[in-house]
Amino acid sequence: MSTKQEQPFLEAKGLTKHFNVSHKLFSKPVWIHAVDDVSFAVQRGETLGIVGESGSGKSTLARLLLNLIEPNAGSVRFKGVDLFSMTKSKESTFRREMQMVFQDPYASLNPRIKIGEAIAEPIRANRVMDGKSRIEARVAELLEMVGLSADVAHSYPHEFSGGQRQRIGIARALGVSPEFLVCDEVVSALDVSIQSQILNLFAELKEKLGLTYIFISHDFSVIRHVSDHILVMYLGEAVEIAPVDELFQNPAHPYTRALISAIPEPDLDVASEKIILEGDIPSAEAPPRGCRFSTRCYMAREECGIRHAEMASIGENHLVRCSFALG
Amino acid sequence: MNQRSFASAFRKNRLGLVGLAGVAIFLLVGLIAPIFVPYPKGYGTEIMVSPSLTHIFGTDGLGLDILSEIIWGARTSIYVSSIAVLLAFAIGVPAGLVSGYFRGVPGSIIDTLIDVFLTLPVLPLIIVIAAVVGSSITNVAVVIGLFSWPSLARVTRNATLRVTEMQFIEAARCLGIKQRVILFKHILIVIAGPILVNLTLIMATSVLSEAGLSFLGLGDPSTWSWGTIIKKAWDAGAIIDTPNPYWWWFTPSISIILYVVCFNLLGNAINDALNPKSRD
Repeated sequence: MSTKQEQPFLEAKGLTKHFNVSHKLFSKPVWIHAVDDVSFAVQRGETLGIVGESGSGKSTLARLLLNLIEPNAGSVRFKGVDLFSMTKSKESTFRREMQMVFQDPYASLNPRIKIGEAIAEPIRANRVMDGKSRIEARVAELLEMVGLSADVAHSYPHEFSGGQRQRIGIARALGVSPEFLVCDEVVSALDVSIQSQILNLFAELKEKLGLTYIFISHDFSVIRHVSDHILVMYLGEAVEIAPVDELFQNPAHPYTRALISAIPEPDLDVASEKIILEGDIPSAEAPPRGCRFSTRCYMAREECGIRHAEMASIGENHLVRCSFALG
Repeated sequence: MNQRSFASAFRKNRLGLVGLAGVAIFLLVGLIAPIFVPYPKGYGTEIMVSPSLTHIFGTDGLGLDILSEIIWGARTSIYVSSIAVLLAFAIGVPAGLVSGYFRGVPGSIIDTLIDVFLTLPVLPLIIVIAAVVGSSITNVAVVIGLFSWPSLARVTRNATLRVTEMQFIEAARCLGIKQRVILFKHILIVIAGPILVNLTLIMATSVLSEAGLSFLGLGDPSTWSWGTIIKKAWDAGAIIDTPNPYWWWFTPSISIILYVVCFNLLGNAINDALNPKSRD
């Protein structure tokens, strides 16, 4: 594998997405800065965790990676191929290699389509295999792989709990045998007791199928549990990216420090000082000038409101966007 | 869609069964009975006979059996409403799906068209068109169909707008399912309820429109329809006469009402049965 290190499995460069939220014909467009100049790379077999508050652009980033929406700028290279400049026929092969598990297990399954059909349809549509009995056997195999019995294929989604539905969503995504899975807040709609079951299932599947994940969550303890690298987002921008141990030992960005200090600590002897951030995340319609975090930062100085820092390296694989963290 | 679970859910709905039975009787009467009942024409000998064993619904001012007229009228009603529904379905559903799913320019063009059609005063227009194209029963049916699609398109569009936002549609796109399949399977199956209900409504209202046109004398004078019977009763003054030959105008009126009610009951029951959440 070491020879392949020069070419990452997935590489995003300068990804930017602005939405125009003003639909009036003659009024000035109002731009939402959903994702701004985000770059990162994921190696095969790794898990990249993306963490940030709601409104930080995590889900938009996921949709950009899967080519569900078009970026205003930037590129995504998957196994060396640029996703946004490829032909239709190539796009269909890429569909089989990248998939997504969605946030809300109650909304991500069509209520009128039976489980078996929901899983079989993408297999047929992408011509992964054909023949009715072969596909049926594959559906049964997928259901068992995610810990469900094969005869749930004849039921409708409403007959299942949230955790079971999320398993069905995973089985459906795995039907086309992807190598890369984007998991967008896959456990945030579930009970805490179910969350760990689903997280274990993801770990199991990664082992078994050699998957590469991007795991998106607002919950830092979930991200810490599953990730090899962590990307911290704030208001559409990447503010820090580092391997998980490095990030927890040397968090450089004040925002990362605040998030880490807010993780509940099971060990009572460790007296951790919580950093409480004040206020809400500012509107993405008019992000603060200078550093976007400056309006809430407990370390902010005057120049932070003026100077917009770039991502800069402060260690091996450790990038941060803060004028002070650089020392 | 599982046929068995749909049927068993439908069977639990008593009003729906009544509607289904009513619709089945109308269809049967309209399609089969004209084979056994002679087409009422010319003059009869017994004029304005009240209901009796030989003439169960009595006879009209020309001595023709009203039951035969009702039966032949049922055939006309089914013919007219079937054509109107087919036309409305063929135009309204694709228009609603496309405008709801694709928004943007094609969406707003179709939406504007729907708005224009909905604001047009339908009855006067139907009268004008029926007068211009001539009063054959097929023309009447086509004209009614051409004016029935906007309401269906609006219902389809609104439902599509709601469903397109759902995560499972995004999931389907992500899974590489073709746009055509997403539109005509994933979205259509979810909004089938309101569409079917609207279709049964069109089934009902098109018969009302046909009766109205026939009553105004714009129907096909050579074809028996329930509206034509009422028109003839009206022209003969039967509706205000004393003693009143109530059977002449009452039976076609009640036929129209029953036809409308049965189709509406059926539509509601279909809507309930299609929704798996309402099943036990």
